Amino acid sequence: MTRPSFFGLILIAPALAMIAALFLYPLGFSLTSAFTVPGGGFSLTHFEKAIDLYSTDILFTLFIVITSTLLTALFSIAIAGTLTLGETPWLISSLRFLYRWPLFIPFIVAAQCMRTFLAKNGLMNNSFVAMGIMEPLQATSFLDWRGIIITFVWKQVPFVTLMLAGAMASIDRATIEAGRNLGASRLRVLIEIVLPQVAQTLLVGLVLSFVTMLSVLSVPMMVAGSQPTMMTVDMAFRINSYGDYATANALGVISYAIAGAVAWIYLRHNVKREIAA
Amino acid sequence: MHKSLLAAGFTAILLTNPASAQTLNVATAGDQNMVDYIKDYLGPMFEKSHPGVKVVAVGTGPGDGGSQKIFEKLDAQKKAGANSDFDVVVIHQKAAGTMVKDELLKKYRDTLPTGKLVTRDTANNSLGADVSGYVMPMFHSQTAIAYNPDLVKAPPNSYAELSEWVKKNPKQFGYNGIKGGMSGVAFVTGWVSAFGGDAAKLETGPYDAATKATWDKAMSDLKEFNKNVVITPGNAGTLDMLNRGEIAMGPVWVDMFYTWKAEGKLPPNTRLKLVSPGMPGQPMYYAVPAKTGQEKLAAEFIALATSPEVQAEGIVKRFNWYPGIDAKNVQPKLEKADWDKLFVDITPEALAANGKPFPIGPYFNDILETYEKKVAN
Repeated sequence: MTRPSFFGLILIAPALAMIAALFLYPLGFSLTSAFTVPGGGFSLTHFEKAIDLYSTDILFTLFIVITSTLLTALFSIAIAGTLTLGETPWLISSLRFLYRWPLFIPFIVAAQCMRTFLAKNGLMNNSFVAMGIMEPLQATSFLDWRGIIITFVWKQVPFVTLMLAGAMASIDRATIEAGRNLGASRLRVLIEIVLPQVAQTLLVGLVLSFVTMLSVLSVPMMVAGSQPTMMTVDMAFRINSYGDYATANALGVISYAIAGAVAWIYLRHNVKREIAA
Repeated sequence: MHKSLLAAGFTAILLTNPASAQTLNVATAGDQNMVDYIKDYLGPMFEKSHPGVKVVAVGTGPGDGGSQKIFEKLDAQKKAGANSDFDVVVIHQKAAGTMVKDELLKKYRDTLPTGKLVTRDTANNSLGADVSGYVMPMFHSQTAIAYNPDLVKAPPNSYAELSEWVKKNPKQFGYNGIKGGMSGVAFVTGWVSAFGGDAAKLETGPYDAATKATWDKAMSDLKEFNKNVVITPGNAGTLDMLNRGEIAMGPVWVDMFYTWKAEGKLPPNTRLKLVSPGMPGQPMYYAVPAKTGQEKLAAEFIALATSPEVQAEGIVKRFNWYPGIDAKNVQPKLEKADWDKLFVDITPEALAANGKPFPIGPYFNDILETYEKKVAN
């Protein structure tokens, strides 16, 4: 291996400085604030408080994010699979045109739309009633955990699908043709031949979605009431109402830990593959 | 972290706003309507009477969080020894106390011609902190229970009656918890004042950390109560659900209620009820940062904003707030219809009897945190 060149280092210096100033320093700051009490000294008080007040919300957050990730996986596989293996040209072209739209809509706009769409007497239920599918009395509000999950899945499916469909398009078509020629159904080809070849990409997409959903504030705040709610709302509340950065940072550290665990699963999987290869 | 963020913020402000000789920067906490009020109404009026002056309004976000941002900025600028780039700030009660204590504000009220028109207690006592002379109330706003008279023939008169009503009519009452805006917070502090024991002590102090232990019964009752209510997403969420007929009753800000009604976003027959023993309201304050370069302009701006004419036309007529200065100075400037509009559902007597201040700072925080611990978690 050659020694790192001086000019090379200079070239990446601005990027490194940016990471240090805008990511590593705040991260260190927030860790320090979470683990110390005023006047110095290591302490877990803020974590005790975070658990004491927000244990339900932490579990709720995990539930929401994990469920949304699984549903995202399911829908993305279905859409990308249809795009790759479908045999109806107009269906494929319209799906290809439609599925990307949510990518261009920010979370907060999506949340605002869902707020009127999913309400008890909102657009969705009213349309069902008008079509005669549902009686007005059967209408229920989806503005709770279901609303958050629906918004998250709606928003993240295109992102994962985009990656997945790209990966599926680049695999060797011969493997698919072989399976089809030997009489395997399209579903079987998708599950047994296509998916194993793109599992890596799917995993990356899902890990990125998981971390994104974990950090969204606007959706839980706007779509659902606050009991229970997601950790991001609690962090904002801690700071806005009490100016209490320490407990908010403790909640932040719990978030890092959750995101870190997911990243670890991904990395471990990656290393295993590299060893196998 | 704060400093680097602030520096970035500065850069943005400096880039977008080439400094002219006379710019008055007004930073306001609160909802968008506060920014609109200054940008569309007060600012142009002031610019007209002061040629060459430009009023720039900056919103810092709703609720105490907005005031907290103003506090953090002034605090950072003070620590850096820099002049503040806000000339007038509009803040909530909680932040006003802290800012006076940390000497971030100027004592300016006694020099104002309108200073002596202020009579309400909240102009001097902000949640237990003495702010006398440092703040001018911009307006006073009040929470109350809004209800749909088609669905609720006999609205409850008190918290106790409301609690019974909710048992008989599950999921017909909605409020936004404590993390979705102040109307929910007001409902909860009102609940604790009603059922938690010594209400007067919550309003005036002295603070005793042991008091919160006496709220256990009130809080567990509230948890029971919550099982039969809808938790709505935000202040506007409660009004939205009332509008769509999804709930029949819920706590709201009086000014938002009238504004929404005027805009046709609520059924015209929706009404208000201020239940006993009382629900809280709060003023927003005009204040001047201790280190501003535009002290004189700032004072003139606030004098205009608190003049009886502006209080009548802007505060009462346009935005449906209760005036910040003594109402008897404002009444002669208003048509009878405009005046009556504010006092039909909630009579001046009801307002005097049941319009309460929020609990003092430490109790306020204790109530919120006890709620998080005992009710929400």
